[in-house]
Amino acid sequence: MPAEDKRVWLTIAGIVVLGICFLPLGQWLFGIRYTYTVRVVALGGAILGVISGALGCFAVLRRESLMGDALSHAALPGVAVAFLLAGRDLGFLLIGAGIASWIALRFIAALLGTTRLKQDAAMGIVLASWFAGGIALLAYIQSIPDASQAGLDRFIFGQAAAIIESDVLLISGAGAVVLLALALFWKEFKLVTFDGEFAIANGFQVGLINTLLSTLIVIAIVLGLQLAGVILMVGMLIAPGIAARQWTQKLHHTVILAAVFGAFAGGVGAVISAIDADIPTGPMIIVVAFSLVLASIALAPGRGLLWSSWRRRLDSRRFARQNALRDLYRYALSHGSPGRPAPDAFIRGIGDRSAALGLRQLLASGLVETTGDSWRLTDTGIEAARRDAHSLQLWDLYRLYADDMGLPLLAEDRQLDIRDVLPADAIGQLEAMMEQRPN
Amino acid sequence: MMALERWLIELLLHFAARDEINVFLRSPQNTATIIGCLIAVSGALLGTFLLLRGMALTSDAISHTVLLGIVVAFLLMTDVFGMVGDTSSPWLILGASLAGVGTVVLTELLYRSGLLRQDAALGLAFPLLFAIAVILVSRFAEDVHLDEDAVLVGEIGLAWANTNSHCFDNCATVTISPDHPQAKMARQCRNCRELGISPRDEGAEFVEICSNCGSYSPAQAWQAGYLQKEPSLVFFPKSITVTLIMTALSLLLALVFYKELKLTTFDPALAKALGFRPGVMNYALMILVSLVAVGAFDAVGSILVIAFFIIPPAAAYLLSDRLAVMLLLGPLIGAAGAFFGYDLARGKFFGFIEVGDIIAGLNSLFGLDLPEQWDSSISASMVLMIFIIFTLVWVLSPRYGLISTLIRRANQRRRFDDQVVLAHIHNHQFTDRHATELRVKTLHLHFRWTGRKMGRVLARLRALGLVAVVNGLAQLTARGETQVHAFRGAMLEAHNMPDID
Amino acid sequence: MNDRAPLALSVEDLTVAYHSKPAIWDIDLGVPEGVLMAIVGPNGAGKSTLIKAVLNLIPRAAGRVSFYGSPYEQARSLVGYVPQRGSVDWDFPTSVLDVVTMGLYGKLGWLRRPGRRERDLALFALDQVGLLDLVDRQISQLSGGQQQRAFLARALVQDAQIYFMDEPFAAVDAITERAIVKILHQLKERGKTVLVVHHDLQTVEDYFDWVTLLNVEVVASGPAAVVFSPENLQKTYGGRVSYLHDGQVLAAGD
Repeated sequence: MPAEDKRVWLTIAGIVVLGICFLPLGQWLFGIRYTYTVRVVALGGAILGVISGALGCFAVLRRESLMGDALSHAALPGVAVAFLLAGRDLGFLLIGAGIASWIALRFIAALLGTTRLKQDAAMGIVLASWFAGGIALLAYIQSIPDASQAGLDRFIFGQAAAIIESDVLLISGAGAVVLLALALFWKEFKLVTFDGEFAIANGFQVGLINTLLSTLIVIAIVLGLQLAGVILMVGMLIAPGIAARQWTQKLHHTVILAAVFGAFAGGVGAVISAIDADIPTGPMIIVVAFSLVLASIALAPGRGLLWSSWRRRLDSRRFARQNALRDLYRYALSHGSPGRPAPDAFIRGIGDRSAALGLRQLLASGLVETTGDSWRLTDTGIEAARRDAHSLQLWDLYRLYADDMGLPLLAEDRQLDIRDVLPADAIGQLEAMMEQRPN
Repeated sequence: MMALERWLIELLLHFAARDEINVFLRSPQNTATIIGCLIAVSGALLGTFLLLRGMALTSDAISHTVLLGIVVAFLLMTDVFGMVGDTSSPWLILGASLAGVGTVVLTELLYRSGLLRQDAALGLAFPLLFAIAVILVSRFAEDVHLDEDAVLVGEIGLAWANTNSHCFDNCATVTISPDHPQAKMARQCRNCRELGISPRDEGAEFVEICSNCGSYSPAQAWQAGYLQKEPSLVFFPKSITVTLIMTALSLLLALVFYKELKLTTFDPALAKALGFRPGVMNYALMILVSLVAVGAFDAVGSILVIAFFIIPPAAAYLLSDRLAVMLLLGPLIGAAGAFFGYDLARGKFFGFIEVGDIIAGLNSLFGLDLPEQWDSSISASMVLMIFIIFTLVWVLSPRYGLISTLIRRANQRRRFDDQVVLAHIHNHQFTDRHATELRVKTLHLHFRWTGRKMGRVLARLRALGLVAVVNGLAQLTARGETQVHAFRGAMLEAHNMPDID
Repeated sequence: MNDRAPLALSVEDLTVAYHSKPAIWDIDLGVPEGVLMAIVGPNGAGKSTLIKAVLNLIPRAAGRVSFYGSPYEQARSLVGYVPQRGSVDWDFPTSVLDVVTMGLYGKLGWLRRPGRRERDLALFALDQVGLLDLVDRQISQLSGGQQQRAFLARALVQDAQIYFMDEPFAAVDAITERAIVKILHQLKERGKTVLVVHHDLQTVEDYFDWVTLLNVEVVASGPAAVVFSPENLQKTYGGRVSYLHDGQVLAAGD
């Protein structure tokens, strides 16, 4: 199994273990009792997390994070109108939300197509106006007798405790359709997201594919609303994708990981908030999801901040060592013989602080010896310096003749020993060429 | 702040009697409209620069996070410094504004890490800070005197009731001490609680306490009936003062730094070269946006305020190209929205259409049973009204409106089609292939146009006397020839930069 | 020019407009089969626009385009495209092999997945451009030149008859430049036709045997030896070309 696959599976396993650990921890810390209701809520939260995490990846990759924000705010009036027309059936409410978001999407497109307003302004206008419309309608609904317990408030900040078994069935059904569509059109979505122009040139109906993908994202937003609420839904949508992106370099891994992260955030957030009706679910989920992002940014191998600062440290150590060796060797050669000592002031003067770091390493590995105010290469040191100089010469030849000699084409990295980079037969060819040349 | 209010009232007293002022300010409609207009003016002034700098959504981020600043500042004030929490206190406003500026910095740091893009950093940072604020609000609801409703829509409708009183005549402050004739004395059990006994039990010891002792401001004293003569009082809503200060500051910034803001907005590089500091202007703008967002929080909550920043300048942008005109139109549009918005909340649309009638119409049309009494959120209605005005502007604006744009584009397309055909004839009429290229019957095939479209264009060109048809072949007239050359010259000039060497 | 030789690409009366301002103006262009053609002209001359309009990526105001006598819709499998490197997000989570495999998606059609055969074809193309060692790299970890070569490989797997390349030589290292030239010549040997938007006037005659000089209109088009003359360049660039004494082009001011 390739290293990347292994890492992804390890991360997934880690999240599952974390999730399992949370069960007793939650009982101990928050006094959660895993009643039937709480189990339904946790299941609903996790399923919604999977859907929004998976689709959210595409919103992030298409640089449409803020569009997600606008569309989720814009869903509110749809919920209100659907309630006024058809009552409190969840299916109708979600359809209403979807229609309102979709109209908002078209409105933004119309503004961009016919005016000189930029995208951020158009999204801001629609976000605020649609939201205000929703708030105005909700205030009106409050005035209708016996509508106050309709529970539409849960669409603003989310309310996990309101999820019941039939909701979970609805969510699972809709989610299965969305994920199935994602799997069926995977190839198309990937191509269009990466390089739309190339897709058009290859005969794909990019407009249609983009509309389909946008529709799936809107469905994911709408489904997630009852959990995260219109204001914070964008966090639920994009946080898992951003976190997942830090761990992997492949699209399918990113989507799978995002789904797992989303499930964790949705499940855990919903359960914590279900303990106490005072805590709205949306904010809780966002806090959990953001912790995942923070942990990923810090820890992810290869990209994470800890990792890259560690690598920078290693690199600077390596460069310091290499430069000190080269400086010493060059000085000694220009003063007669490779074994000639160089004065401390000279060698430190060239590389100042990094020189000290480099000399310390060389001393520790026995490549130099010092008398206190001068430095001298030992025999092994001279040997190492020669190898390095030889490598540099080979790099020079490679730059000039690689093409004519039919050698593999590589980016030049003269910090590396060329013998570690090129295959042995290529090195042999270069060596032979070096022999032929007089110098 | 008190001094400012007093000065204002004295100014007003030149124009109106004290009672008139009080009656005017005690009307929810008047106060709400004034506050709405002030927020709209300050928002539109700053929003114009945000819009032109492509930072419209920065106001979104700031307004969301200002909530966290307010909640934290409030909790600090009450729990740590033991003061009385008050969302219109200058300390709280300053503290909370810092949070707004902080978000901008935080977002910048997040995306400078290079691990996520700017839109993702924004989309991540402000939901998080908002989420934390909402959790704090729900946890410490009793301490903060804020509920989720106030966060969402503010309390502009109640702003008239939250006042400072100013006294101008008969301003006796009354101090009630235990020996005052109006002191209310009562007995209270001193040791009941610690002993766990009832006051009726034996062993209960009593002390005399005074239940209404303390010092009373003239307004309080009059209300409690401690004054014989009514003091001459003016009650001034705090929100008006706060939003007025914000408006004054925004106006000051726009007037004093007009030149600097203009330059740093349109050409930051040049501004820097000329010795202006774009960074400083940027942060000045951010600080003011935060201040306005905090100041408006009491009235319109933390989300709807975005509309006051973005929509009026966007409407002004569709009406004018000039910054000065935009700075005038934006506040006007916003204020108009706030003015008509109050009516909308109470069921009147632009003063003459009743929302109730519309609902009645819907009821009879769809067989619904909705109450015809429309009474809704004031702040949300103001935003809706601003949006409606924006939409009207968008459709009707003479230069950048929907209708004029569509007409202009159709004209351009038509003119362009003409030029395409003229150029084609020009390019081919003296070549050896002109018999195939210029045959009128087949001309449309070369362009992959429909025959009808080509027929229309040719008819127009012949009517204009630019093209003639000879033996079934199209030909340029002398006028057509001049046209082609003129257009070609203009076109190539547009593409080529002037020769420098 | 021989009119009876089969034309790989024929463009008639093509006009393209941005906001009713012409970017390309009533162009006629015939490209014979098997040539390596450079499209040369100043900035804003419509070089990329020409390619995009021919490939239906942007709408045409007027004009006909045919590949080997058939319109684009029927000739799609004959056409390969290498877009500008800056046109995509290189931080996209995908590997070099994956990007190259995308070149085959068009042939697979809806719902079918790439399999073993597609993988082998992609590996073969990667070998041709010298990226075989980097197949599993994430694309952001490639150098600019390597990214360009990955794009080239993606076009190669399409096994097209006629290739369009938009500025493949822009900001690449010397090794990549040579690799691309090598592949151009291999393509020519296999009878393919290649159209390249090119910036560097000095190398035009070394790399290409056919040239189109473009500045909104076609100034000249034909064999490089005939067309690539100081007078034509003067017409294309205005006064902004300097020459060495022997008539060689030194630089074109952009």
